Amino acid sequence: MQEYSADKINDKFDRKFLVFLGRYWAVIFLVVETIIFSFLARGFLTLRGIQIVFFFGTAIFLLGTAETFVIITGGIDLSVGFVMGFASIVSAKIIVALTNSGLTPALSIIFGIILTLMIGLIPGYINGILVARWKVPPFIATFSMLAITHGVSELLIQGVPAKNLPYLANDIGNGYFIYIVPGKVISFFNKPERIRGETLLEIIPNVVVFTFILILIFAFILKRTKFGQHTYAIGGNVDAALRAGINVKRHLTLIYVISSFFASSAGVIYMLKYVTGKADAGAGFLLDSIVAVVIGGASLYGGKGTVGGTILGCLILAVLETGLRIKGMSTFDKYIAVGVILIFAVLIDQFFPELIHKGD
Amino acid sequence: MNYIINHKTQNIGKEMGLISANAATIERSGFSKKIEIVAKNWSIIFIAILTIIFSFTGKGFLSLNNFQYIIHLSTVFLLLAAAETFVIITGGIDLSVGFIMGLSSVLSAKVMQVIYQGGGTEPLSILVGTIVGLAVSLLPGLINGILIARYNVPPFIATLGMWGITNGITLKICQGFPIASLPPSLVRIGNGFFIYILPHKVMSFFHKPPGIADEEIRELVRIFPLSIFFSVIVLFLLWHLLKNTKFGLHTYAIGGSMDAAVRSGINVKKHLILIYTLSSFLAGLAGVFNVFQTGIGNFTPYNAMYELYAIAAVVIGGASLMGGKGSIIGSILGVILLKLLENGLQISGIEPFYRFIAVGFILIIAVIIDQLFPDLF
Repeated sequence: MQEYSADKINDKFDRKFLVFLGRYWAVIFLVVETIIFSFLARGFLTLRGIQIVFFFGTAIFLLGTAETFVIITGGIDLSVGFVMGFASIVSAKIIVALTNSGLTPALSIIFGIILTLMIGLIPGYINGILVARWKVPPFIATFSMLAITHGVSELLIQGVPAKNLPYLANDIGNGYFIYIVPGKVISFFNKPERIRGETLLEIIPNVVVFTFILILIFAFILKRTKFGQHTYAIGGNVDAALRAGINVKRHLTLIYVISSFFASSAGVIYMLKYVTGKADAGAGFLLDSIVAVVIGGASLYGGKGTVGGTILGCLILAVLETGLRIKGMSTFDKYIAVGVILIFAVLIDQFFPELIHKGD
Repeated sequence: MNYIINHKTQNIGKEMGLISANAATIERSGFSKKIEIVAKNWSIIFIAILTIIFSFTGKGFLSLNNFQYIIHLSTVFLLLAAAETFVIITGGIDLSVGFIMGLSSVLSAKVMQVIYQGGGTEPLSILVGTIVGLAVSLLPGLINGILIARYNVPPFIATLGMWGITNGITLKICQGFPIASLPPSLVRIGNGFFIYILPHKVMSFFHKPPGIADEEIRELVRIFPLSIFFSVIVLFLLWHLLKNTKFGLHTYAIGGSMDAAVRSGINVKKHLILIYTLSSFLAGLAGVFNVFQTGIGNFTPYNAMYELYAIAAVVIGGASLMGGKGSIIGSILGVILLKLLENGLQISGIEPFYRFIAVGFILIIAVIIDQLFPDLF
């Protein structure tokens, strides 16, 4: 027998509202945050402003995706920051070496990047072996890799930042996908000659294009392939995954290789953007990447999480950091903000556990 | 091989997805017993081996001064590692200790500076600054504990959040600059020695013998940095707490199996809150001591990774990140091993980057040994 008392109806609406808040709190937070910053910082909500957020955030996006895979399996990868730095240095050095030995800038950049990405798989492979085969806790294994890659990076630079990269690298790293001179020219990848007085619209930085192509590919892998399903399975219950015939050892190794791949991609992109290689290029993004994954709904115990959620988390952080930077506020506030957001995210997850993860 | 899945909720091990191998009983034949002994005490053996190696490769390594220097420098890390020991034994983790240390450094230094520059006497400013620093350092731990015990926030996340928050607050207080203009006695106390001996001539306690000529200063032998007394006292108290009291027993119990601990009547929530408060207090103690040691209030640099080193030391000392194992003595050995390694490499002229690599390797070795011989620590 249904009762239609006034109280019950009110409760229903309140409950629905709470459910809505709980489920979409991250999106709401992002919107509110963007609005706040658009008032605080002039030029934030413009074409240029938004692109700056994405341009700056590529590292966070890539590292966040890396961590997503690892965290879903119930592990963690602390080495991504320094693998990124390592990759930036390695790519810079290789490209410089190739250019000096006579290769054209374009070819040396291409080969340099390919070689770096291949080399960048090694830290991940080692992580994977340590975790999957030798049962080293991921925290420790990846922390050691953090230390080791840091050491190797410093060794490679010997204190002198890598430089003398060909200009082409800078053009790629800071170039845009589409250039429009309204009414006249549309060109891809190449900046058109501009006559004074004309406005030039630049749309979508190259590095953002690369980043999102990578992320989309792997998001697809995670969501639609058996590999992705196995990843969730391992995170949910390793025992069951084993009994279901999944080669857990090999899968975990691959996961850490993927993570390392993303980290080195981030390093390559860093090199393209800033035309240099730095050992601690990614050190500051480690915390952000983990926070982004948690905001996105993953659980550190594994088994849950999506790339989309992580991207949302990354956006929140990218907007926050870019906004603070434009505003000239100290980075001190950023730490406080990120810490608070993190705790907030987890608390919400505790209070509304069934609601955040639709379709789980 | 049987795989045991660990379902503890508050457990860093499950968080991090560790698959623990079933510990098969180890046959105690003569030979494997010897291997057992080696493995059980591998950190001591390692320290001995390193000492021997470095005494050849580094001039001045094997000297009273150098050893005391190593121990003196380790004080802060010993405190941090002790803090992590308690937390890790309960199966948790505390990532915020590094920045809590910075916070208490900066805060106590600020208070000391304000009072001293405002006309207060040295003892007063030092005393008040110390008390304030220690008192405030209880707060982050309390918050951590409440988040973890009452709101079921995973320790990794809760302390990570506090990591960021304390760092931000610290930087806001000091605006990125170390706090200086502190009472000069601080450094004397922090770096003082118990005994000063000018061989064949003079011996004095607590401060340099008065009236010695400059050439004679080089001959001065200094024994027992005051920091050793400090460390020994604090560590002894903590060791006793962990090993001989009910508090310590409960700590191991919670780490071993939280369900069993709850069922046996332990107030797990309260205990965990106490543990994290203790951890943060020890970090605060380290911070205050740091002010005595360096004479300034310095925030913890971003890349210092003190907490990770402390955790590494605890794991090297035999603790398991899953909880239930670990000891103060082990953690002390872990710190000494790491610091000795660092010092030895530095004196031998090896560049800093190799040190990072070395720490990474040692950590992995520690864990692998722990895996191979799980029941020994």
